Amino acid sequence: MSGAVSGPTVVERLKAKVGWKGGERVTVVEAGQVRRFCDAIGDADPRWRDEAPPTFVVALASETPQLPEALDYGKGWLNGGDRFEYLEPIHVGDTITARSTLVDVYEKQGSSGGLLFLIMDTEYVNQHGRVAVRLRGTRIRR
Amino acid sequence: MITTPPQVGQELPELVKHTTTRQLVQYAGASGDFYEIHYDQEYARSTGLPGVILHGLLKAGFLAQLITSWAGAQARLKTFDVSYRGLDQPGRPCRCRGVVKSVEGSTAELEIWTEDPEGNRTTLGNATVELT
Repeated sequence: MSGAVSGPTVVERLKAKVGWKGGERVTVVEAGQVRRFCDAIGDADPRWRDEAPPTFVVALASETPQLPEALDYGKGWLNGGDRFEYLEPIHVGDTITARSTLVDVYEKQGSSGGLLFLIMDTEYVNQHGRVAVRLRGTRIRR
Repeated sequence: MITTPPQVGQELPELVKHTTTRQLVQYAGASGDFYEIHYDQEYARSTGLPGVILHGLLKAGFLAQLITSWAGAQARLKTFDVSYRGLDQPGRPCRCRGVVKSVEGSTAELEIWTEDPEGNRTTLGNATVELT
């Protein structure tokens, strides 16, 4: 019998990270930041001079989980999808605290190899302590 | 902007986006998503892509614009979800479309999607809008 014991696979190591929190990021929403975001989308609605457009919150947290282990799987990231739930509007001048949690990790076989799904929930809490937006992001390593 | 109650089956006025690589750089800066597949052709190809591609969340931003410009400032977007199904490359028009799926009281459910020039739906989504 060989004494070699293989360590946990990258999938097992990432599954063990479910519940991992991505740290808090606090941002004071600035008019210029919102304007540059709207310019990039090409949305010139004057409403966004004071209010943040629906997808603006993505600028307030990391796009992918900052887990070095994830980079050991596949060659790159793909974005699978995003689900936003809006509870309160976000305005210029608000202080938003973003908190992300890794809520699920699973593997699927695609047509050209394995895909690793990482599901992240992010809550965006305003200066009143109320959740303004919830976001569930599906990020894929392939 | 809508002025009368929406009807089931009604289509939202289409929004066509002609995205450039420059715009992808702009979006990278504005969103903080500096993943190289959105502006570095060589890097994008090294990961098996045909070249740089649109950020999924940029397409989500286009679809959010489709909804809010139709629903108007008095309406409130309650939920918005998108699933990215296909790649979109700069230099090719991205059509943003939507249809009213149901209306109950002042709440409308929408189906939204982006379409490439071949008619493939590259992003699929749903939204709930409170039209007050």
